[in-house]
Amino acid sequence: MATTTVLTTESPDRWKYLNNILTRSGPYTDEAFTPGDFPKQFLADAKILVIGAGGLGCEILKNLALSGFKDIHVIDMDTIDISNLNRQFLFREADVGKSKAEVAAAFVMKRVRGVKITPFNCAIQDKDDDYYRQFKIVVCGLDSVEARRWINATLVNLVDDETLIPLIDGGTEGFKGQARVMIPTISCCYECTLDMLTPRAAVPLCTLASIPRQPAHCIEWASVIQWPKEKGDLKLDTDDPEHISWLYTQALGRAKEFNIPGVTYAMTQGVVKNIIPAIASTNAIIAASCCNEALKLATTAAPYLDNYMMYTGDESIYTYTFQHEKKEECPVCGNLPQNLTVDPESTLEQLMEKLQERPETTLKKPSFRTSSKSLYLQAPKQLEEQTRPNLEKKCKELMEEGDELSISDPGMPFNLRFIISFS
Amino acid sequence: MSVPGAPTAKEKKYDRQLRLWGAGGQEALETAHILLVNATAAGTETLKNLVLPGAGRFTIIDDAVVTDEDLGTNFFLDDSSIGLSRAQKTCELLCELNPDVKGDYINDSIENVIKSTPEKLKEFTIVLATGDIVTSTLLSLDSILYPLDTPIFVLKCVGFAVTCRLALSEHTIVETHPASTVDLRLLNPFPELLALAEEKAGSMNDKSKMNTHDHGHIPYVLILLRALDDWKSTHDDNVPSNYSQKNQFKSFVRSKMWDADEENFEEAIAAVLPHFNSPSIPSGTKAVFEDEKTKSLTSSSTNFWIVARAIKDFAEKNNGLLPLPGALPDMKAESKDYIQLQNVYKSKARADLAAVVEIAKSLLSELGKPADSISEPEIETFCKHAGYIKLIRGRSLKQEYEDSPNAKKISNEISEPTSLIHYYLGLRAYESFISEESNTKRVAPGVEDSSVESDAEKMDKYVTEILDKLSITHSPELLEGTSKAIREIVRVGGGELHNISSLAGGIVSQEIIKVITKQYIPMSNTVVFDGISSRTEVYEL
Ligand SMILES: [Zn+2]
Repeated sequence: MATTTVLTTESPDRWKYLNNILTRSGPYTDEAFTPGDFPKQFLADAKILVIGAGGLGCEILKNLALSGFKDIHVIDMDTIDISNLNRQFLFREADVGKSKAEVAAAFVMKRVRGVKITPFNCAIQDKDDDYYRQFKIVVCGLDSVEARRWINATLVNLVDDETLIPLIDGGTEGFKGQARVMIPTISCCYECTLDMLTPRAAVPLCTLASIPRQPAHCIEWASVIQWPKEKGDLKLDTDDPEHISWLYTQALGRAKEFNIPGVTYAMTQGVVKNIIPAIASTNAIIAASCCNEALKLATTAAPYLDNYMMYTGDESIYTYTFQHEKKEECPVCGNLPQNLTVDPESTLEQLMEKLQERPETTLKKPSFRTSSKSLYLQAPKQLEEQTRPNLEKKCKELMEEGDELSISDPGMPFNLRFIISFS
Repeated sequence: MSVPGAPTAKEKKYDRQLRLWGAGGQEALETAHILLVNATAAGTETLKNLVLPGAGRFTIIDDAVVTDEDLGTNFFLDDSSIGLSRAQKTCELLCELNPDVKGDYINDSIENVIKSTPEKLKEFTIVLATGDIVTSTLLSLDSILYPLDTPIFVLKCVGFAVTCRLALSEHTIVETHPASTVDLRLLNPFPELLALAEEKAGSMNDKSKMNTHDHGHIPYVLILLRALDDWKSTHDDNVPSNYSQKNQFKSFVRSKMWDADEENFEEAIAAVLPHFNSPSIPSGTKAVFEDEKTKSLTSSSTNFWIVARAIKDFAEKNNGLLPLPGALPDMKAESKDYIQLQNVYKSKARADLAAVVEIAKSLLSELGKPADSISEPEIETFCKHAGYIKLIRGRSLKQEYEDSPNAKKISNEISEPTSLIHYYLGLRAYESFISEESNTKRVAPGVEDSSVESDAEKMDKYVTEILDKLSITHSPELLEGTSKAIREIVRVGGGELHNISSLAGGIVSQEIIKVITKQYIPMSNTVVFDGISSRTEVYEL
């Protein structure tokens, strides 16, 4: 052990109860558990990474500090917004506009003596494999599917004889949430469970353009059709109140024209920002569950969650704890390609659009290859131009049944692999 | 910024929660006064989750002095707090979380408050008791608060084990937040709806009278009503009632498609099973209607019971139909047709509401109350949720401990090794341990390494005493699960683990919010959480 944290800087009473579970075995502890100084020292030395310093992240940092972790890193690229204050309890009104990671780290270090928290105000993609390799555990409190997929794939790719970094992930929506433990290549990974996400029902463009019926249709019309039409290249910033106001006024006018009641400012904001209701209580439940698992993993003082816990609090209390299965055809941790049924008469471009609608393939700029040729490449520019005509071609001209189609995307640190069959 | 409808500063701050409980829920939260007994980690974590969303006031009663052990579990204390009043220091640090919230503290024990100023307890909307409280004190709190209808939460967190008991004498909920309140009245359509079906879908089978575009845009509700008419003419005027008939009806609707990709017909087919239900009053609503408080209103009846009675009377005059909620899901249609259909449902809902308001007014006058003492928006909310209302009649702690314990529930669970009832029994034994008269210093089991096993054996004995009192037969084999739970509880030496207490604080604060806002459905009446297997279970005890 290169850096050994000295444990004797504080009163022995401070961690009395935590120490009790580390120095005494319980009826459920694994036989390999050696009560005493070993788990205590491991906990003090283990570097742990927290991704996200928002609603879950604030809770996670507090919980890890009070679980005996001493060396914590936190990454978050966001700044503090007024609407964070109803649950992100490490922030005050005076902090609005500052870096979440920095303010959260400073607050917890000031409150809990002896913990070191290193903040990074950046994107997780800015860090390389060597950076991630130093951690014993990664705890994720994010609201982004894309970032979760990225860190999940990164940790699975890091697995070798010396590196196996568990990923603990939490998420909430209203009174519901889930906490899960993923041991790369051993238990199911984040990618294995992507089909559990319910895709956001897309409203057909023709409904938005000509037959709106709901207030949300008017709002989407304003943001999807009117904004680019009226504002040209100006990028819509959903955090800019003037932009939201503009959309709201447009949507209101549209609604009036079609006699559609119910467009409000709050709804406009909710639709264009895809706002998910969030409260402190649910964050507390899920973050604490994640950190309880981190403590159990780091100390083996009790068996850890294998591997999924769903909490539902809107009608009584219901918890579903189960083992989600690993998927053999998972593009990240599995060995087999997935099956994909393709209409041979459809064009490559239509296939691309179809794949983009699926939750497990939320692609941004995908490139397509078969084992023998490149069908369409997004970069470099020269190759993009060369392969672009293929987009217009029919699938039956480009691939054969049984071909393996490989799709890469700049947002994903892995390739999706499909075996083609024609419908 | 002078945009109409733009949010106020408060709406911005509370935006993410207002989307769950609205302005009404927020107002209830802001006028609440919460009492926390003992500023344990679980207690302060619960308050954190209530101060952040803007609960009006809280008070902490605690005579403890901050120790080093507190600092290892409680985030709302720091090094400078050691040796000072725990009530005061936690109150100060909690108040920092939200300037809208007022915090108070009483640096005294709950026993002294009960003895010297019991009337003080009447000020609170809700009471949360945490930490090591002896049984007699819990029962005193219960005897004061339960008759006042003040909800009491008793939260115990020891190591990985949590139980939370809610003693709630009566609780009525209108806004239960069901997934949907849609009632399309397909099997009992009202005249305006039938007229619209005739107007828009009357020529549905006739290619000479309707073009393909219009056919592909008939709202599915009207397709179904029209098809039902055809079906009835060949089925002795009967509607499809059982599963197989409904499936036949689906094929019948499919046969009326002109083109294989008419989405509106696909929507119609998909709506048959969920929406072809003969009207009946749901059990939750029936329980309210049949309650004595609905049947015999008095001048002290609250709005809930008066409106419930008005709706009951309305349904009796209306072939057993509740007032129409008026919601309509989105469906493939031309804008104007959809809006027209929506207006038909809305008008009917408004007419039903007006009828209920009239009944409520006459009930109010019979009771000698002003006719406008219940606002129309309140009645409207009730009408929209009439099929989803909920009445909870809870049980006091005295009922659980002394008068009518739910022995059957416990004995059913006890033989199941993975049941969480073992943690309930373990924490009951823990309470007996600290309540033991000879244990004057209220020392917790497992404090000393040397006493871990002997304390666990004492706890085993307390469990058998509890079971004997309930006349539940037991044996060491049967109590293996309980014995393990006890050893897990003794292992930690009577203290809290921060994660578990924080998780418990999350659970309890959700329940408190549900009770205060009278929205969503709280648990009845005991939740057990096990931090080892990461499971919860709810028992009615
Ligand atoms: Zn996987």
